[in-house]
Amino acid sequence: MAREEVYKRLNKVFQEVFDDEYITLSDNTTADDIEDWDSLEHINLVVAIEDEFVLHFDMKEVAQFKNVGDMVDAILARG
Amino acid sequence: MNEYKFEELSLEQQESFEYMVTEKKMSLFTELSGDNNPLHVAEQFAQHYGHDRGRVVYGMLTASLISTLGGMYLPGKYCLIQQVNIKFLAPVYIGDVLTVTGTIKNLYKSVKRAEILVEIKNHQMVKVVKAKLNVGFLE
Repeated sequence: MAREEVYKRLNKVFQEVFDDEYITLSDNTTADDIEDWDSLEHINLVVAIEDEFVLHFDMKEVAQFKNVGDMVDAILARG
Repeated sequence: MNEYKFEELSLEQQESFEYMVTEKKMSLFTELSGDNNPLHVAEQFAQHYGHDRGRVVYGMLTASLISTLGGMYLPGKYCLIQQVNIKFLAPVYIGDVLTVTGTIKNLYKSVKRAEILVEIKNHQMVKVVKAKLNVGFLE
């Protein structure tokens, strides 16, 4: 899967989770950039990403996500 | 009270319990919520609007059984309710005996979340509530 395709699908996931169609992600996007991105929404986000890409992160990995770029890397690492 | 931890749960695992709606529970909920809408407190009003069996039980009283399911049965002691999506499918009346059933539909290990399908049926086996309950776990 190409990085652009991951971004396209991930953007959609973020827009749905945060109910905000104007979200545009980049590698450097963090929780500071999205107003409603709190600990509960983070869980919702991880679950929505796992469902969208049909994969499972491990707990340690999720704790180490510093920004969206890390998430995209983790998705791509699974092919 | 059950004491399931995340690691002890499995897909399709199920728990259920029964609950009878009484006059007293309705009165307590009226007091607790401050909702004096006539559909819930006035027999004739409810009947006038097509509810032959009288006052309609508060949807939120029925919904509170989702809290009971999570906090007491599935998973029980270590439950942390994070999200509930609920549909009210049919009215509940005083005297109804409800069966609340929770079934584990998804387990997200990375964030320790269990997704539970909740169905509440009355004693005539009519489904009155369908909900999705997302719970986390106290560490």
